[in-house]
Amino acid sequence: MVKNSLIFIVLIGFAVLLADLFVGFNGNTDLNTLANHYAVSGPEEVGSANLVTAVVVTYRGLDTLGEVTILFLAAAIVSFLLKVEAGASRNRKLRSTSEILDTASKILVPVIFLFGIYVFINGHLSPGGGFQGGAIIASGLVLMLLAQPAKEVGHKLITLVESISGISFVLIGVAGVLFAAGFLDNKLLSLGKFGTIFSAGVIPVIYIFVGLKVGAELSGIITNLQENQNEA
Amino acid sequence: MVGPIYIIAIALGTAFSLGFFKKANSNFSFAFMLFAMAFMTFISGQWLYAFLTQQQETIQIFTAGFKPPFSISLQMGLHESVFLSLINIIGLLAAIYLYDQLREKGVQMMMIFVLLFMGLNVVIMTRDIFNLFVFLEIASIATAGLIILDKSINATSAGFKYIIATAIISGILLIGIIAIYYFAGSLFINDIIKLNLIYVKGGAVAVFLVLIAIILELKPFPANGWALDVYEAAHPGIGAVISAASASAGIFVLAKILPIVGDPGYYIIGLIGIITFLGSNLLGLKQDKANRLLGYSSIGQIGLLLTIIGLTPYLGDKTLFIAFGVLISHALAKAGLFWLAGIINSEQIKGWAAIRRNPHLLVLMGTFIFALVGFPPFPSFFAKWELIMQLANNDKILWLALILIGSFIEGIYLFRWFGYAIKGENEDLPEFKIQWNKIIPVIVSALGLYAIGYYYSTLTGLAANLNYIPLLFIIFLYAIDFLPVYIKNTISIAGIGYYLYITFPDLEEFRLIFALIFLVGGIIILLAGYAKKGRRSGFYPLVMMMFAGLIGLIEANTTLEFFFAWEIMTIGSYFLIIRGKKSMTHALSYMLFSVGGAYLILAGFGLAHIGQSSYSLDILANVQSYAPIIFTLLAIGFMTKTASIGLHIWLPGAHAEAESDVSPMVSAILLKAGVFGLIVLMLKMGAQSFGSFDIYYALAWIGAITAVMGNMMAAFQEDAKRLLAYSSIGFLGYALFGLALMSHLGWLAAVSLSVVHFMFKTLLFLAIGGVVMRVKTKEMYKMGGLIKKMPFTFISVLMGIIVIAGVPPLTGFGGKWILYNAVLEKGWFLPAGAIFFAGIIAFLYCFRLIHAIFLGQLKDEHREVKEAPFWMLLPQYIILAVIMLFSAIPNSLLKPIGEAIMPYFSEGALEWQGNLAISNFGYWNGELIMYIVGGIFVVVFGWLWFMNRNAQEVKQFNIGYSAERPSLPETTHFAYNFFAPYKKALGFLVSPIISDFWEAVSEGIHAIADKIRRIYDGNAQTYVLHIIAFIVIFYLIAFGGSYGI
Amino acid sequence: MENLNLEIITLITGIILVLIGIWGLLTQKNLIKIVIGFTLFNTGIHIIMVSIGYVKNRTAPIIDQSVNINDVGNSVVDPVPQALVLTAIVIGLGVTALMLTYVLKMYQKRKSLEINNYNDLKW
Repeated sequence: MVKNSLIFIVLIGFAVLLADLFVGFNGNTDLNTLANHYAVSGPEEVGSANLVTAVVVTYRGLDTLGEVTILFLAAAIVSFLLKVEAGASRNRKLRSTSEILDTASKILVPVIFLFGIYVFINGHLSPGGGFQGGAIIASGLVLMLLAQPAKEVGHKLITLVESISGISFVLIGVAGVLFAAGFLDNKLLSLGKFGTIFSAGVIPVIYIFVGLKVGAELSGIITNLQENQNEA
Repeated sequence: MVGPIYIIAIALGTAFSLGFFKKANSNFSFAFMLFAMAFMTFISGQWLYAFLTQQQETIQIFTAGFKPPFSISLQMGLHESVFLSLINIIGLLAAIYLYDQLREKGVQMMMIFVLLFMGLNVVIMTRDIFNLFVFLEIASIATAGLIILDKSINATSAGFKYIIATAIISGILLIGIIAIYYFAGSLFINDIIKLNLIYVKGGAVAVFLVLIAIILELKPFPANGWALDVYEAAHPGIGAVISAASASAGIFVLAKILPIVGDPGYYIIGLIGIITFLGSNLLGLKQDKANRLLGYSSIGQIGLLLTIIGLTPYLGDKTLFIAFGVLISHALAKAGLFWLAGIINSEQIKGWAAIRRNPHLLVLMGTFIFALVGFPPFPSFFAKWELIMQLANNDKILWLALILIGSFIEGIYLFRWFGYAIKGENEDLPEFKIQWNKIIPVIVSALGLYAIGYYYSTLTGLAANLNYIPLLFIIFLYAIDFLPVYIKNTISIAGIGYYLYITFPDLEEFRLIFALIFLVGGIIILLAGYAKKGRRSGFYPLVMMMFAGLIGLIEANTTLEFFFAWEIMTIGSYFLIIRGKKSMTHALSYMLFSVGGAYLILAGFGLAHIGQSSYSLDILANVQSYAPIIFTLLAIGFMTKTASIGLHIWLPGAHAEAESDVSPMVSAILLKAGVFGLIVLMLKMGAQSFGSFDIYYALAWIGAITAVMGNMMAAFQEDAKRLLAYSSIGFLGYALFGLALMSHLGWLAAVSLSVVHFMFKTLLFLAIGGVVMRVKTKEMYKMGGLIKKMPFTFISVLMGIIVIAGVPPLTGFGGKWILYNAVLEKGWFLPAGAIFFAGIIAFLYCFRLIHAIFLGQLKDEHREVKEAPFWMLLPQYIILAVIMLFSAIPNSLLKPIGEAIMPYFSEGALEWQGNLAISNFGYWNGELIMYIVGGIFVVVFGWLWFMNRNAQEVKQFNIGYSAERPSLPETTHFAYNFFAPYKKALGFLVSPIISDFWEAVSEGIHAIADKIRRIYDGNAQTYVLHIIAFIVIFYLIAFGGSYGI
Repeated sequence: MENLNLEIITLITGIILVLIGIWGLLTQKNLIKIVIGFTLFNTGIHIIMVSIGYVKNRTAPIIDQSVNINDVGNSVVDPVPQALVLTAIVIGLGVTALMLTYVLKMYQKRKSLEINNYNDLKW
């Protein structure tokens, strides 16, 4: 009880801190200079209709590279920690799935995959992008694994996709240094016609790799967790 | 040059492509990863080189082809390149060290490893605050991954605690960053700095959150339980990375965001820093697990760094020099110790006793320990020196004191640990093997410490004059350590002799006198070394280190040189002392008193420097403020070496347990370093008093009490070497008393007694050492009747005690005669009475030496005992010859000393008429006394010889016990507890009050530490609560007052 | 209630979520629930971030039919916090995945989800 009251007091202190922090906040009525620059010059400089994408992939491309790296790291650690030792006896008691789930998954999974691909290819035009698309692909995988818990997903394929797309992302970045104005420079490819699928320089290309990579990494995490499920 | 952006590209490319090699040859993957690490190191190294040598300008790297604030930019400047190089080198070494583990655990760990370093690199270079957050996250997630290297339950739960804690911290950081964005409209650090957000309502809180989160990443006390668990559970190779590389990056990040906070931030950082430094080191005291101990020490060092950063306003442009000196010493030494921990593989610090199976490992460990505590010649020494000087200059006395206290506490546990390594029981400890890949990183970091230490000393204009020649000689002796003892002994003697020869012309006055004691004395005692057989591994470098320090003291012109030499001497003597039998605890207390004393000296020099630009020792003559305090600090500091009462408890054990030729070195020579220090101090500073209270009167009393107590304790000893040790304490009491008189005669007595003490203590320690060597015991009641077996030794001892007792005709009498004259002149009769009393007690123990050891019945087991070896006797007889000379012609000793004193105290000098010394109170003719005493001796001897024929021979065993056997036969020996009646009367005086006092202090501190460390209850939730509470408390501190961060 | 704009409501929601998350993290004894506490904390921060980037009466920063291409600066909300929150979400996801994995591993080793069973390292 003493401890809980202590926690309570500390939390009140923290709440006061947060209140102090935001006490002057009353919503924005206008964009600040930075955001205004992105909004006004962004379409011209980057050519992406989705300004968030412009910021994520180009202006703050290094963050995105870091983000991808974090997922990569998480996937690597999960797979390291949950690696099933070769030859270890695997006594898994798996729940049987229902007919409905099984059938539905067969129809839905390809559609979900396709939708995921759509989302990351159109990341520069519409809401969405590589991360969202990748997450959708991984959710398709979750459905698949729910329907067929015994299914073994090929780790090799996942790794291959992960590595190739990761390296490609880095290479595009380096190409920006060599052939354009800087690391991850968007103008490596021409900006194209604003608002079309082949526009916004290398953004769609990057987003395709990000989508594949995120999809692969999340799938890796999921399959690793799934393989450790119900282990006796 | 290769652009810094390629660091990212290479690291990421490597990490991503390692996935291809999952099944492939693991050696290939490892080589691939190592290549990436090497390339990263190369890139940072070439920039560092360019900045240092080619006036390279700081460059900005814009990503995405836009300028900041629109895009993320990186910066590469001198500071960045220094930190990157440091971190990447540690990374490269750590990778080599982890060769087996990384190979065995597969490519995932290699990916994680590379990515950790990529994260740290970008964290250092980036100028975008959100980008900073992202890459900090990369670094902490990668760290979480490395922690679970061995997948044990402890590692996993430590990893879990780590993730929870860092996730909360980065959440706080994120709130701060987004709020900063709201207030500043930019994420570019340079823009944010210009806006002075702390003067904006709410903005100050945002800045505070970012600041506190960055500090929390550095694991401040007490919100750091999670980090300690990690240090304990993680593989030492990983601990090294966290402690050295990650912490360095964290410090850099803090420095980077500091301008956003502005001046008010210093106060918070300094406060947190000093709490961490003191708290973490205090808790470290109770720690007996090596890795966790290293954790406490790491956090303590980071606390020191935070303190230094917090003190920037007072340190000015020296901040960087100081902070980097501490940081690099910490990083290399801590990494080295963690790496050693992985080789020794012992959880408990006691298990480190195994390390001395390989003496070179011990040398490496010593390097790291001394670098951490801040001994020369390591960068931390120069950094600490500069830190104290600057703090004193700015009158930050409290900070100065707290920092020294914290450093001292750290010294306690580090040296205790080192003591276990050198002297702990290692019979049953498991074997360890040394693989090439594990030892190389350790060696490289040790060499790095020496190299950077040297480089650092050249950076301070002052230290350029430091004399490294003796140190090179030590390295040379270390290199030829495989040679037999007589060669090394000859080389050492030649070395000292040559040094004396080249410095002799420059020496005068006291410097000359003490140089002769130190160097000639050293040579004479070293002669005894020829008696040793075999290699005597490691002995000579240590002896020479002590002498290098002593020489340095003599030659020092600046306070820095003096302190440098003082510390070198301490290192050498510490090792000499710990070489003795059962000397672990004594060496520790010696070291602690030395370190404590050294810090007092350092503080004293610092305060003396206030208001003066020079560092010459002459500033002592000219102090602007705090004069009596400075005097007291320095005097106490020097008195730790002279072992004055209260500070003496290290001495008896240390001197008694040392090897037979080391005892005279540490007793006859080393103690004089303290006397020399006192002489320098008194000459420069002159009379000092607190108000009307005369410090010298207090010193005189201390000297007198020391003399009485030292002699009394000597009288009650059973152990012959311990007796001599206590007698040294007593004798140094006379010297202190004499100096405190501040008159010509007082000083003449003190200095001449110092010289005399050198002679008879060398004589007696060598003689008794020879006896102990032959009879294999130090207990006097187990000896007896050795006069016939060891006649030459007997003569030495006889002469020695005549000198000690201060009776005519030998030279000890002269010293006392002058001392009493000086007292009469000064009129301090009360302490003088004590001194006189002490002189009488001296007879008691002198008598025991001759009586218990050489007279009486010979023990049965000593029938085959031989005389001491020639090489032990030779130095004794050389000294005997000198004693006879000085006794017969006293002015050969006293005149030069008098001349040295003359410039300072000209009044009341002795008047010499040939061999006749005339004072205001009487006269003394040494030569004449010699003849008279000689005459009496011949008469008495002749009469005894004549009476000898009446003596009746008794068989040794014709005494019975009347059919009874006492339970402890030795207690019935007549020499046992010889002065029992006196002990009954005066024993209360020698009850170990002082030892008890220090013990109680130590136990009290340890009990407090044990109580406090219970806050680390091992529960992740408690740790998070600590973190949140830490934030709230410092929020209240920062905003509670009118201070406003 | 006039002042209670959309962004204020979401901001307060975010703050409350943060506090609830910390409370859960500190008081729950079940490891999984502790992780849930963390995700609440994290989500609260994300909501705070998005609230801060909101500009009154404007639309998402995507140039489509609803946005006048010549007046983008006056018709969209701030894209930066949205970009940042995307990054933050992904990071949070990675961290959560790691936490769960560690919990799983701990559970596999000791068959307990009680946090007090993992206090071996202390002092």
